[in-house]
Amino acid sequence: MLRFWLIKLLRTVVTLWLVVTFAFIVLRTSGDPVVALLGADARPDEVEYFRRLWGLDQPLIVQYLNYIVQMATGQFGMSLRDHRAVIDIIAERLPATVELGLTAFAIAAIIGIPAGIIAALRRGGVLDRLIMTIAVFGFALPNFFLGILMILLFSLTLRILPSSGTGTWQHLVMPSITLATFTAGSLARFTRSSMLEVLEKPYMRAAAAKGASFSRRVLFHAFPNAAIPIVTVIGLNLGQLVAGAIVVETVFAWPGIGRLLVVAVSQRDLAVVQGLVLVIAATMVMANLLVDLLYGLLDPRIREAST
Amino acid sequence: MITRRRFGQYSLSAGATTLILPKGWARAQGTRPELTVAVDNLWANINTINGISTTTRRFFPNIYSHLVERDYLADEQGLTLRPGLATEWNRDGKVWTLKLREGVKFHNGETMTAEDVAFTLGPERLWGEEPFEPRGKTFTAGFTRVEAVDDLTVEIETETEDPYIPGKLTGYIGFVVPKAAYLDMGVDAFGQAPIGTGPYRVTLFRSGEVLEMEAFDDYWEGPPPASKISWRIVPEFAGRMAGLVSGEFDFIVNIPTDQEPQLQSYDDVTLARALAGNYPAFAFNCRPDPEDNPLVDANLRKGMVQAIDMDSIVQALFGDTTFHPAVPFNFPEYGDFYDPDMVNPLPYDPEAARAKIEQSGYDGQTLDWHITRDFYPNYEAAAQIMVEMWRQVGVNVRAEILDNFELVYARPYHMMNMSMSTDFIPGDPYQPLWLDWGPTSSRATATWKTWDPTEEYLEAGREFEAATTFEARKEAYLKLSQAWQDVTPGYYLWKSVYNWAHRSNIDFVPRPDGEMRMFGDYMSLPS
Repeated sequence: MLRFWLIKLLRTVVTLWLVVTFAFIVLRTSGDPVVALLGADARPDEVEYFRRLWGLDQPLIVQYLNYIVQMATGQFGMSLRDHRAVIDIIAERLPATVELGLTAFAIAAIIGIPAGIIAALRRGGVLDRLIMTIAVFGFALPNFFLGILMILLFSLTLRILPSSGTGTWQHLVMPSITLATFTAGSLARFTRSSMLEVLEKPYMRAAAAKGASFSRRVLFHAFPNAAIPIVTVIGLNLGQLVAGAIVVETVFAWPGIGRLLVVAVSQRDLAVVQGLVLVIAATMVMANLLVDLLYGLLDPRIREAST
Repeated sequence: MITRRRFGQYSLSAGATTLILPKGWARAQGTRPELTVAVDNLWANINTINGISTTTRRFFPNIYSHLVERDYLADEQGLTLRPGLATEWNRDGKVWTLKLREGVKFHNGETMTAEDVAFTLGPERLWGEEPFEPRGKTFTAGFTRVEAVDDLTVEIETETEDPYIPGKLTGYIGFVVPKAAYLDMGVDAFGQAPIGTGPYRVTLFRSGEVLEMEAFDDYWEGPPPASKISWRIVPEFAGRMAGLVSGEFDFIVNIPTDQEPQLQSYDDVTLARALAGNYPAFAFNCRPDPEDNPLVDANLRKGMVQAIDMDSIVQALFGDTTFHPAVPFNFPEYGDFYDPDMVNPLPYDPEAARAKIEQSGYDGQTLDWHITRDFYPNYEAAAQIMVEMWRQVGVNVRAEILDNFELVYARPYHMMNMSMSTDFIPGDPYQPLWLDWGPTSSRATATWKTWDPTEEYLEAGREFEAATTFEARKEAYLKLSQAWQDVTPGYYLWKSVYNWAHRSNIDFVPRPDGEMRMFGDYMSLPS
């Protein structure tokens, strides 16, 4: 068991290192942070001054090693853009993204999973086709398009919801629904196919033969067995919620890390981008770990195999 | 946010109080409305020099005050200067003496002194070896001494006689900062929590989200009309528009030209525009880099200029909102330098264009035009039309739309987008003609430089810099402009347009420098 977790930990560290290194290479080779930050009209001597000031005149490998040492000692560094500690900047913005992400996730789960179950139970019927049509629609509709449509409808025309920003529950409605749509569609589709597979298993017929009620068969026999692939999809979608937040936060001016990432990348604010990449990668890794743990809880065979 | 009901309340309460209270009292007592401005962006810091950008210029004068003001209310080009924090200015040879306004308070309660002004303009902050805000060197070229003579007098000495110092003090370097607080906080911290002498003091700044400021009632011109202003980032135009129409916002900025009619269709929304002191343009790469660059031949460049029907392009893209400056540097904002009857030496003429192109020996090689995506409104659309016009006269141009300026600057290229501002010295063509193309400019020195100034241009430039009378300066200006046109290293497209939309019950006077002055005669709120 210890070896299992050590390997997982080592993989996590290697993953994070690769992600950070990749971000460093891409950002530092795709543009000069000083030019990006000072603007197109900056004079060459000004550019040189700031390059020296920020240590960007050092060879790339020296900059990289300095950065890795900083990261290893828990220092995220200072933003090139506004000279504040990266950790403070991320801490300031993270709660908004977590609030939006969790709300969207809850909406997606509450709508997507029951919709998938109902579609499976009504396989081939009108309800199944209706739910799957809506699910495909939600799955395929781009976030930015849906977001702008909602703004035009609910803010501009009906004037019942604020168009952007944060502060009240009304502000949360459109961004969270926009962000949840893709995940809800995806969950509904996976839940349906997973349930269909389980519903045809012999133990479902055995449960029916034993006289278990319909609801008991669905909730206690079918759903737990169908849950493993659903949990996998949920884990993947947790990461998707962060990625989707980049677009949704921009459309709705939601002050989270998604928008922070867009600005930091466009400004080549390396320290902030790498801090964010680490946070996002850590989220993905944590989501995967949680999924592993849930596997164990859901399926005794997996639990026993890992002990 | 202002609503009709709140306006009604303000009206009633203001009406009652003004009967019994002195002017300004009611405003100082918190009965004023709050405003929300939806902007496309803020900036990383609010330092007056390190924070220079179009987005900060909007709100700077609400936080900081200028030493000298451009009066756009007196004349639309803003060529009239009036006292700001400096009440008088006089020159004796190379030395300018500024007399400062008495009793001006900073937001931290300190009184402004000559020491603060000397520090604001001095070497430690702007032009020494390692200044706090090194971009200040550009705006203080020629400064040799800045000194506080007494509590309210400052002297500025320059290397050569410089009659344009008061004009320069209407720009970014003229915003005064408090020396003690600045040094105590450090330049970076100051940029996050700035202190000025303007009508509003900053209470919250999150560079990627919001800037909040509240009325500073000790402002030297009296309490401002709003109790609080929030500048909120709303990146998407649809969000800004919806917020304005639904009443969440009082102002929005940066309206795409094709969306203006939509906004104008709402009864309670007013559109405001101002022609900015800025011209989008493109530069020809006049240098043999790449080696086979056919644009080293001036005939090809001039032929390409004559192939562009820019008046029609501007009409199609902007309507009557703006115009194409037919003769470079002959801009209306230059007052007496401007000659509306000046003849365009390179008018639209496809036949003449073909002749010049043939004379250049151009063999049909593809010319790469680097363009920054979405940087200048309508630039890409205009580029597409120009590419087609050039095709008509046998020149093949490939417009490459790139994500950022670093990619635009990456060689090889034959042309690149750019823009040039005109308002560094009010009413004088120094910036676009000499500062931006001269021997120390990026265009002539950077790794991505596009031309080498000719001897004729340099000589005319030296005359231009040394001229201290208008007549001598105008003569040098014409010579310098001609030397530039002989080479034609670039082409100015149109005068940029700033636009805003606001609630119709607000009176707002837009300024060509993009400043949104939420005070004085530039804005009044219903009372």
